[in-house]
Amino acid sequence: MLLWIAMAVLTVAASLAVLIPLGRPTRATSANAGAARSIYRDQLDELARDRERGLIGEGEAEAARIEISRRLLNSDAAGSGTPSAPQAYRIERLIAVVAIPLIAIGAYLYVGSPLLPDSPFASRQAQESGQGGVDELIAKVEAHLAANPEDGRGWEILSPIYMRLGRYDDAVRALGNAKRLLGSTAERESLYGEALTRASGDVVTEDARAAFDKALKFDPDEPRARFYLALSLGQSGSKDEAIAAWNALIATTPADAPWLASARAELAKLQPTSTVPPDAPGAPAAPGPTAEDVAAAAEQSPVEREQMINGMVAGLAAKLEADPTDTTGWERLFRAYMVLGRTDDAKASLARARNQLIEKPDLLAVVEKSAHDIGIGKD
Amino acid sequence: MTRKQRRLTLISLAGIVLASAVGLVLFALSDGITFFTSPSDVLANRPSPEQRVRLGGLVEVGSVVKEADGLVRFAVTDGKSSLQARYVGIVPDLFREGQGVVAEGKVDANGVFIADTVLAKHDETYMPKEVVEALKQSGEWRPEDGAAPQAGNP
Amino acid sequence: MIVELGHYALVLALILALAGGTLPFWGALRGDERLMTIASTTSIAQFVFVAMSFGALTYAYVVSDFSVQNVVENSHTLKPLLYKISGVWGNHEGSMLLWALILVLFGGLVALFSDNLPLKLKALVLAVQSWISAAFLLFILVASNPFLRLNPAPFQGRDLNPVLQDVGLAIHPPLLYLGYVGCSISFAFAIAALIDGRIDAAWARWVRPWTLAAWCFLTLGIAMGSYWAYYELGWGGWWFWDPVENASFMPWLAATALLHSAIVMEKREALKIWTILLAILTFSLSLLGTFLVRSGVLTSVHAFATDPTRGIFILCILCVFIGGAFSLFAARAGTLSQGGLFAPISREGALVLNNLLLTAACATVLVGTLYPLALEAITGEKISVGAPFFDMTFGPMMVPLLIAVPFGPMLAWKRGDIVAAGQRLLFAFGAAMAVMIVGLALMGTPSALALFGVALAVWLMVGALSEIAFRIKLGRASLAESWRRGAGLPRSAWGTMVAHFGVGVTVLGVIGATAWQSETIASLKPGQSMTIDGRTLTMDGFVPISGGTFTGTGVRFSVREGGNLVAVLEPEKRIYTVQNMPTTESAIKTFGFSQLYVSVGDIAADGSTVVRVYWKTLVALIWLGSLIMTAGGVLSLSDRRLRVGAPKPARRSLAIPAE
Repeated sequence: MLLWIAMAVLTVAASLAVLIPLGRPTRATSANAGAARSIYRDQLDELARDRERGLIGEGEAEAARIEISRRLLNSDAAGSGTPSAPQAYRIERLIAVVAIPLIAIGAYLYVGSPLLPDSPFASRQAQESGQGGVDELIAKVEAHLAANPEDGRGWEILSPIYMRLGRYDDAVRALGNAKRLLGSTAERESLYGEALTRASGDVVTEDARAAFDKALKFDPDEPRARFYLALSLGQSGSKDEAIAAWNALIATTPADAPWLASARAELAKLQPTSTVPPDAPGAPAAPGPTAEDVAAAAEQSPVEREQMINGMVAGLAAKLEADPTDTTGWERLFRAYMVLGRTDDAKASLARARNQLIEKPDLLAVVEKSAHDIGIGKD
Repeated sequence: MTRKQRRLTLISLAGIVLASAVGLVLFALSDGITFFTSPSDVLANRPSPEQRVRLGGLVEVGSVVKEADGLVRFAVTDGKSSLQARYVGIVPDLFREGQGVVAEGKVDANGVFIADTVLAKHDETYMPKEVVEALKQSGEWRPEDGAAPQAGNP
Repeated sequence: MIVELGHYALVLALILALAGGTLPFWGALRGDERLMTIASTTSIAQFVFVAMSFGALTYAYVVSDFSVQNVVENSHTLKPLLYKISGVWGNHEGSMLLWALILVLFGGLVALFSDNLPLKLKALVLAVQSWISAAFLLFILVASNPFLRLNPAPFQGRDLNPVLQDVGLAIHPPLLYLGYVGCSISFAFAIAALIDGRIDAAWARWVRPWTLAAWCFLTLGIAMGSYWAYYELGWGGWWFWDPVENASFMPWLAATALLHSAIVMEKREALKIWTILLAILTFSLSLLGTFLVRSGVLTSVHAFATDPTRGIFILCILCVFIGGAFSLFAARAGTLSQGGLFAPISREGALVLNNLLLTAACATVLVGTLYPLALEAITGEKISVGAPFFDMTFGPMMVPLLIAVPFGPMLAWKRGDIVAAGQRLLFAFGAAMAVMIVGLALMGTPSALALFGVALAVWLMVGALSEIAFRIKLGRASLAESWRRGAGLPRSAWGTMVAHFGVGVTVLGVIGATAWQSETIASLKPGQSMTIDGRTLTMDGFVPISGGTFTGTGVRFSVREGGNLVAVLEPEKRIYTVQNMPTTESAIKTFGFSQLYVSVGDIAADGSTVVRVYWKTLVALIWLGSLIMTAGGVLSLSDRRLRVGAPKPARRSLAIPAE
């Protein structure tokens, strides 16, 4: 309502900008001709000053004086327009009162969104906290990390979410930070390499390859790193080596591994006897271990994404229910709950951990410490 | 001077200035411009050692060698061929293997590109148009054709 | 609500611009004064509405209202407040809104502060200005609307680029736009004069302060952009002849020419047609610059074709206004009355030479900027026209101009005495020759070209001083008499002197930084040293740095001259943590007017890093000279006689806004 009132006020102001001059008597015309004349008089004054100071010779000064005087006379002769006869200005008034408001409102309704309220970030945070859309949760974690950029675990939690949402560049920097702060492991390096690969449109870049090589130094069997390195060989044209790498990977892969099919498809593409039709997808690196998840995430609605994330957290909780000795798992769960704003769940899970680890005080101490660090129960 | 002479003087002055401007522009256009090329173009049609060239492509993977005193050796590739390049100085923050690069300089008698400027755009997704096209082509490469792109793996 | 109100205010501004472009125009044709005064009220109202609109967008940025698409794309909650605000014009849509805001600002200023302009001329000027505003407001609403909304709104914005978070970059565009768009006023005056059919010395005086103000802003804006590129990009270069730079430099050259030809017109009523043409050209080049920068045509002709709506829209605006203006010019130029006569050797003659050389130089820049685009569009061949082209064309055009500069103010109007002028400049000539000869004796012939440049700079500076010395009879009369004369000299004369002196200063800086810069590259480990230009840089070691949004490493150098510590420099490699984006910060230390410029490369595993050091002789003079030129402009602008509509010295209360 306020908007419409304010718009009405503005519209009236706009109409008045046209209406007021129409109703106001104008100044005498002679004032206008005076404007040009005053400039020429000023020039004559200046000429006199220059002559006084000897900046200009007598002859030249006289010539200039005549020239300026001639201009002065001309400007008088030119005079000015005829004073306007009193008129009704019917058309002009109609324009001001009817056309301006109608066109303005009409055009605005065409381009504007009058029903959409402002939504400043601060008020939305207050309003929506606790209800949690995925974007909001991510924003919260990002805000937390901006305040504590040295929180490596936070970066690590955020990275798979970025990956699933297809924000690969963000995943690269999150994993990069996690790696820098928590140190390299086979898993972190290969995830990092994967993010790099995805970020550059499924091309295994040199940086990515370095990451995979590093991962294999930690764990020569790391399947993700082996998968992408094989892919990289294929991309660089080292066909035979690529085939060997794929064969080696497939040979050591459990039959139920989700990436097995992708690996076979890649292998098939490389072998000349392949039955794959020649117009197979151009980008050779499409399916990685999480390709289907990613494709799914990209098509998901926000609600579905939220369910996916909640599903991941629930999965972790269930895993800990089965194996409570995984202290890093607990820490991860606490942190997830905290950054998602589900403090009550965090407290509840801490209580569960206490119950289940009652027999193992040394492990419980670790869990208690991480709960304390994360800040559960502080408020 | 008569009015006519004055006018003639002015017009001839304008003529002289204009003619010299046109002359300078034509002279400079034959000499002072730089052609935008790709490594394939350079190899196929090597520019003379005096000709300034703007070379666009990707930094070939595994080719960057940083030597003492700031000499950087690298190769620029467009997916089809690659060209050795040398540059003395600090390469930009975004100069990385496998990333797009635009280098300006001359090709010396040995066919090595001597860059005096190396640019990597402040945009990680930037790639020269030629490179994108070359990459698209290598994406369409099929095993049956047998011709693998030999230029590293971007 | 605030955002939508801003959107509505923008629509209203468009409607008022249309009304303000037609009704007063109609009034001027009929001689109807009431209709003509509508021009003033609608111009002021347009400014108020666009300002509200701009304020609403700024508000959306400050509070991070992510229901506005433009905010989502160009902001982020974590940006510092200053960069949230500068983000308003850091993108296409917002910068066009700023463009429009400045356009209507100038219209509003003319409406408010030109009370003594003849009503008809004022109505026509404001009507033309309104037409330009209408075109750009329509462009904003149709093709680059910053008020488009998103529902549901995303929770976070997308832009947090640390390279763009820089104070220089935040204030550079508004300054440049004030200059660019300020040229629209002289354009509007020119069109109004053509429509009116009356153009005289008074016209030139009315138009001059606006041109001068725009020129001052343009000078500052270009200088700032150049300094930003110098310290931020880490290459030590201060001018790249980049098309974006050229886009602002061409209007500057044209505006400089216009400034000078308007003097001739004001004093002698000569060069009428030429001045009108220059006024049209200057704004056309501003529009062309906007088109080049905004359409994406610069990156590639093909990029333009991929998103053609905006480019074609601006191209249409360009064609309508430039085409319309030139058609009107062609139709009316012949009817303008003949101006005053003058001999080739005269103040007028000198200013004609200035104009010829400036416009020819401007044309060479235009060719260099557009030729690659034309070639790519026609033949598909891609070339880049860089510094060598401009050095070969622009440089030679400037030499005769700079030699002629000190002569101009020394020559009398109408018929000058070049011998007398030469005699008065004898001292300046002697000083320049002395510098040249001493320099040649010390440095030998290889530096002859550079020494010629230095001599030229000395000639310009001493020449400017000689002119004032002559005018106040310094040394030929008592000091008290000279003082009295100096105080009595019009400020515009002082302004001319200061601005010409500034040109000399800039030339000296350009020559120094080009001819005598030295550059050394070395790979150093802590404890090792390198020397440049008699100074020794020792790398002391690495210092961890951290500044809130970034961490990184500073590399500390101590600089010694003859064993004495003269400076400690600390260039940095930063990593912005949230983006994981590396940036390089160079360190600069000024010695006198020269600068030591140090930047470092990546730090290798063995602790060595590549260090690039420049010694930039007199480089600071480039920007100091630009500041002096601007100061000259401001001084001239403050001249009582130039104040818009101040008919008598007594009426001092009337001031023009740009003061």
